[in-house]
Amino acid sequence: MENQDSKSKIVKETFPSELISIIGDILAGILLSLLILPFNSFPVLILMVPALLSLRGNLSGPFIARTSRDLIIGDFSKRTWIENVLATYTLSIFTAIFIGIFSIILNFAFFKLFILPTVHFILIPIISIVLTLLISIPCSTGLNYLAFKKGLNPNNIVNPVMTAIDDFSTVFFFLLTIIMLGVP
Amino acid sequence: MGLISGTLLSFNEDLLYTIPIMLLIIPALNSLIGDLSTVLVSRLTTHLYIGTIPPKIQKSERLIEDFYGLIITLLLSLASLLFLGYLIGIISGIRIVNPLLMILIIVATILLIFFIMFLTLFIGAIFLFKRGKDPNNFLIPFVTSLADFLTPFFLILFIIIFI
Repeated sequence: MENQDSKSKIVKETFPSELISIIGDILAGILLSLLILPFNSFPVLILMVPALLSLRGNLSGPFIARTSRDLIIGDFSKRTWIENVLATYTLSIFTAIFIGIFSIILNFAFFKLFILPTVHFILIPIISIVLTLLISIPCSTGLNYLAFKKGLNPNNIVNPVMTAIDDFSTVFFFLLTIIMLGVP
Repeated sequence: MGLISGTLLSFNEDLLYTIPIMLLIIPALNSLIGDLSTVLVSRLTTHLYIGTIPPKIQKSERLIEDFYGLIITLLLSLASLLFLGYLIGIISGIRIVNPLLMILIIVATILLIFFIMFLTLFIGAIFLFKRGKDPNNFLIPFVTSLADFLTPFFLILFIIIFI
């Protein structure tokens, strides 16, 4: 599959999914610039947003790549998928806790804005990322499987489409979490 | 890296209030460079596993084909992103400062980061594969973090220099 891809095939397969990704990310940008920017605690919240978007990419990216590699080389099974899901969730929760701890440290060291209760620094990343993965994992597995079944290269298609879904979900669930926690 | 990027944005909070279009397009720019780099890593890994690229740092027809495919996709996507971003910015009433210069800054930033990424990822994939590691597991987290840090960094740097 991979060794037959010409540059026009790469463009044909990647560009439409990248376009979907751009639309999803612009929607995430609208949420950020219109709904999160007006929060009083924005200078503290913006500390966490890129880290959460990175975390999403860092975890769901390898999840998608491993699933598509397993499909292409014929190693995909229920057992490998469950192992993949468990590893992704465990890593997400640990990394979200670290994001919270480092945000607290950075806030104490540089910004000294005590608008948020300390526990919120930990809760916001954990809740946001767990909710995001609830959408991300089933969608990416389904897309990987569908792309592979239709003879398309999952490597070219699934990541850009999932970035759109994931980035929008990350910012949306971030907004939902800060509303639920009553962040000013 | 994500937190460094957040700190960078938080330090330049005034810039975000002055040029709010930046906040609108930053997630899309980050993911554009992140996506294409992830596609590159996934492709390189599969090429290495199935043997269509030798595990050596050298030019090959397959690598050149991938490079051109990805750079054409990058340019087409960037044009769409700028069109949609500015259109939505106008519709939603987000203030757009110095649109032409901003476009030039964004294009220069993304092209510069893509070249950095392509070289780093190619060398990184070969290095990891030769040591029996799966480049997907190491390079994709690295790519996302690097893209999330480099995009706002160069964007803010060029805005401070030119605007």
